[in-house]
Amino acid sequence: MTSIFRRLAALVRRRRLDRDLDDEIAFHLAMREQQYRDGGATEADARTAARRQFGNVTAVKERTRDVWLFGALETVAQDVRYALRTLRRSPAFAVVAVFTLAVGIGGNTAIFSLVDAIRLRAIPFGAADRLVTLWGTMQRAKAERRGTSYPDYLDWRAGTRSFDDLAAFDSQTVTLDTGDDPERVSGECVSASFFPLLSVAPARGRTFRADEDAIASPVRVVLLGDGLWKRRFGADPNIVGRSIVLNGQPYDVVGVMPPGFKGLSDRAEVWTPFARYAPAAAMAERGNRGFVVLGRLKRGVSLDAAQRDADAVARQLEQAYPKTNAKRGIEVSSIEDELFGGVRPALLTLMAAVAFVMLMACANVANLLLARSEARRRELAVRAAMGAGRGRLLRQLITEACVLTALGALGGIALARAAIPLLLAHNPIAFPSFVAPHIDARVAAFTIAVAGLCGIVIGLAPAWSSRGADLAASLKEAARGSDGRASRRIRGALVVVEVALAVVLLVGAGLTIQSVRRIAAVDPGFDPQSVLTLHVSIPAGRGLAEVREIVDRVGRVPGVSSAAFGSDVPLDGRAAATLYSVEGQPPPDPAQFPRTYAHTVSPDFFAALRIPFVAGRTFDDADVRPSSQAIIVSERIAKRFWPGQDPIGRRIKFGMLPNTNPWFSIVGVVGEVKYRGLPDNPTADPDVYAPFVDRRSQVALAVRTGLPPSSVVDAVRTAIRSVDRAIPIYGVATMGESMADQTAQSRFLMWLMGVFGAVALLLAVVGIYGVMSYLVAQRTREIGIRVALGASGRQILSLVVGNAVRLIAAGVAAGIAGALALQRLVASILFGVTATDGAAILAVTLLAIVALAACYLPARRAARVDPLIALRYE
Amino acid sequence: MGEMLPGTLDMLILKALSRGELHGYAIAEFIHRASDDVLGVEEGALYPALHRLELRGLVAAQWGASDNNRRAKFYTLTAAGRRELARERDYWTRVAGAITRVMRTA
Repeated sequence: MTSIFRRLAALVRRRRLDRDLDDEIAFHLAMREQQYRDGGATEADARTAARRQFGNVTAVKERTRDVWLFGALETVAQDVRYALRTLRRSPAFAVVAVFTLAVGIGGNTAIFSLVDAIRLRAIPFGAADRLVTLWGTMQRAKAERRGTSYPDYLDWRAGTRSFDDLAAFDSQTVTLDTGDDPERVSGECVSASFFPLLSVAPARGRTFRADEDAIASPVRVVLLGDGLWKRRFGADPNIVGRSIVLNGQPYDVVGVMPPGFKGLSDRAEVWTPFARYAPAAAMAERGNRGFVVLGRLKRGVSLDAAQRDADAVARQLEQAYPKTNAKRGIEVSSIEDELFGGVRPALLTLMAAVAFVMLMACANVANLLLARSEARRRELAVRAAMGAGRGRLLRQLITEACVLTALGALGGIALARAAIPLLLAHNPIAFPSFVAPHIDARVAAFTIAVAGLCGIVIGLAPAWSSRGADLAASLKEAARGSDGRASRRIRGALVVVEVALAVVLLVGAGLTIQSVRRIAAVDPGFDPQSVLTLHVSIPAGRGLAEVREIVDRVGRVPGVSSAAFGSDVPLDGRAAATLYSVEGQPPPDPAQFPRTYAHTVSPDFFAALRIPFVAGRTFDDADVRPSSQAIIVSERIAKRFWPGQDPIGRRIKFGMLPNTNPWFSIVGVVGEVKYRGLPDNPTADPDVYAPFVDRRSQVALAVRTGLPPSSVVDAVRTAIRSVDRAIPIYGVATMGESMADQTAQSRFLMWLMGVFGAVALLLAVVGIYGVMSYLVAQRTREIGIRVALGASGRQILSLVVGNAVRLIAAGVAAGIAGALALQRLVASILFGVTATDGAAILAVTLLAIVALAACYLPARRAARVDPLIALRYE
Repeated sequence: MGEMLPGTLDMLILKALSRGELHGYAIAEFIHRASDDVLGVEEGALYPALHRLELRGLVAAQWGASDNNRRAKFYTLTAAGRRELARERDYWTRVAGAITRVMRTA
């Protein structure tokens, strides 16, 4: 340690040191010259002779300086060379150890690169640490997130003091018509404050002016994304000022955004002013909520402070507008949580799992090193007797471990480089486009830190076991080939730890697999088999007749058994909620106010999706007319308001009472559908279905096929285009795909946890087998004596197995305790399973069996020990 | 001093310093004289060795004035250096003795 300080001091005082060295050598030369002169030499001869005797002055200075700079490294290099030489002498050990470590380190590196990519600094907006979203909330059983309304937004903007500014935004899809092939393009409507808030400047032209963002502004302006500008407009340098047609209306292009900018939705390619979000009358309604607000905290304002500020504003609005704002709050949430909050628990779970794998890899390698250091005890004892200091020997052991882990780290990085693209390719989670996991300096630093740590851990085990070992005793012991008690204890502890970690990992793997199976087994309330869903946008001037024509032609496509249509289809993310009131009921508690997702559908919608009727019927011809008063509700409504009674003929209306909306009579009751998410809808609100009678610009089709649904896609497209070439078709997906999207994260988690569990099992087997084999080999002599004294094979077997069983049982117990303790942390990412699930018990049983099997072979070997050979063995 | 048995230069330096404080030149002179000029080429090699010993804490250095009143760097043995010298001496005696015995066998 002191030599490190001396070295650091030397580095700091380097010039001084150089000068001192010059002086020192000059002094030496001067003294020598003096001696020659005193002996009668001339000045010049004395000088030459002194120099000759000294040698090359520059080289000496150089070498002396190097002593200060690299002195310690010299011994390190020596140790490393020695370690490499020892490893070369036992290549099998080296390969197994390096590979084990490479798997552990590589796994950690790969997962860490994902975790590291999902973070604030990846967000490509200025001052991302201060960006927040403001959600409207509705206090029900708990605060539920809702959108907000334009009047509320304006009041939030005026009333809060914690923000630089607020911006209204929502994603939208528009039809871009450039004469040929019309295209549905993702976009965002944003207020003029949006771009300054994100610190994004346009590449060409300008962003929106405040006057263009005013309600009822007559101007129609648009900003284009770089990709769209290049794709559809050939990167026209004179695009700014040109007029383009969106949704059948002319818009003036005022600017082009820089490459890579895709808005907050991460897929936007056009931006229009927020004033175009909805008709002016709808925008003026305080109760018409539907969008989210972006904000940027003032410098130095905390999220909590902003939340309190927003709470105060929400309370003022609640008092000022009780009718629309009762129980309405504001939730301020960081942009980081918004973008990454969803995947973080899963990634952190994976990180923990892979860390456990790493620990197991370390335990295995430590075990191997321990066995080697036992075998090398005599060598070490001899070296110690020859005068090598204890510190030096310890350093040698740790150097060896570090060389192993360094090689393991190299292998691990290579493994991670191969694994990361594979992970991303198979990763069903939709990461934002700006998330690009790769091995950068930070990830490399992490890898080096991990590798260094496990180098020390695995090096300390043998070092600790040889601590305080008295030389003479250890020489004798080594001669006898028997095991030190300390190292036997360490080895036992390693088995226990390894089994415990394996139990935790296997339980984790079992639970995630079970969770995915449970999700897959969830009845979505409809039959997703052989269903294709797609959306069409109906051009201006076309009405319900064209929709019917389209669906009719789709229904006649070979392979299609039925085609129905509606405002939206399950899992397409387009369902919209509304409050409703029930005739003849006392006014409900505002926290329990009935809310439902309303859909308009064709009469055959339920048949096409096989949504079962609980009561009543679907719409008949008389129901399908303008201002129809028929409605079909889901079971939950009937159970809530008319338990045990016939709901048919009862009436509901949209909005809170009193209002002038028409009453709807219930003609049918259908089962609950997982319309908005799997394994469950985000909120427990029911669904209502009204007949599709009014013109809508967007229509969803549900097509049931006899063939695999993806095989009819082209024919369906052709059929739709045969009605009108200008109809954009989008959101084409089989229902199976939509369901898979919903469970992507769970499946990703299952996949990786399964891999980690398998690796853990393998490591545990190898580790336990190694330890038990070693213990048996060490005790061969003892066993031989026992056999010679009359112990039966069975007794020997139970001696060895009994020892193993104790260790494994301790490990399993510790593992179960660990799994129970960790259960709480992963509860949020599991569905319908707990640590006491059958899958967990199965996993533990599997491990116990495999662990016992791993010690059976060594135990049998012990039972067959021939006492003569065993005693001659030495 | 470049052509000595590897590792022995350190030992000789420690031995030289065992009698008291010396500067580099005096150490070189001591080794010359004590070995009857057998050990004594490439005096420069002394300095990396001296500095390495200083770094390892086996010798300590201090600037002072030489006999002829020039500024010189004086080295002394530390406690650790004394122990190291004892170890090296034992080792050397053993090895040299062994080698001598081996060489004597006909």
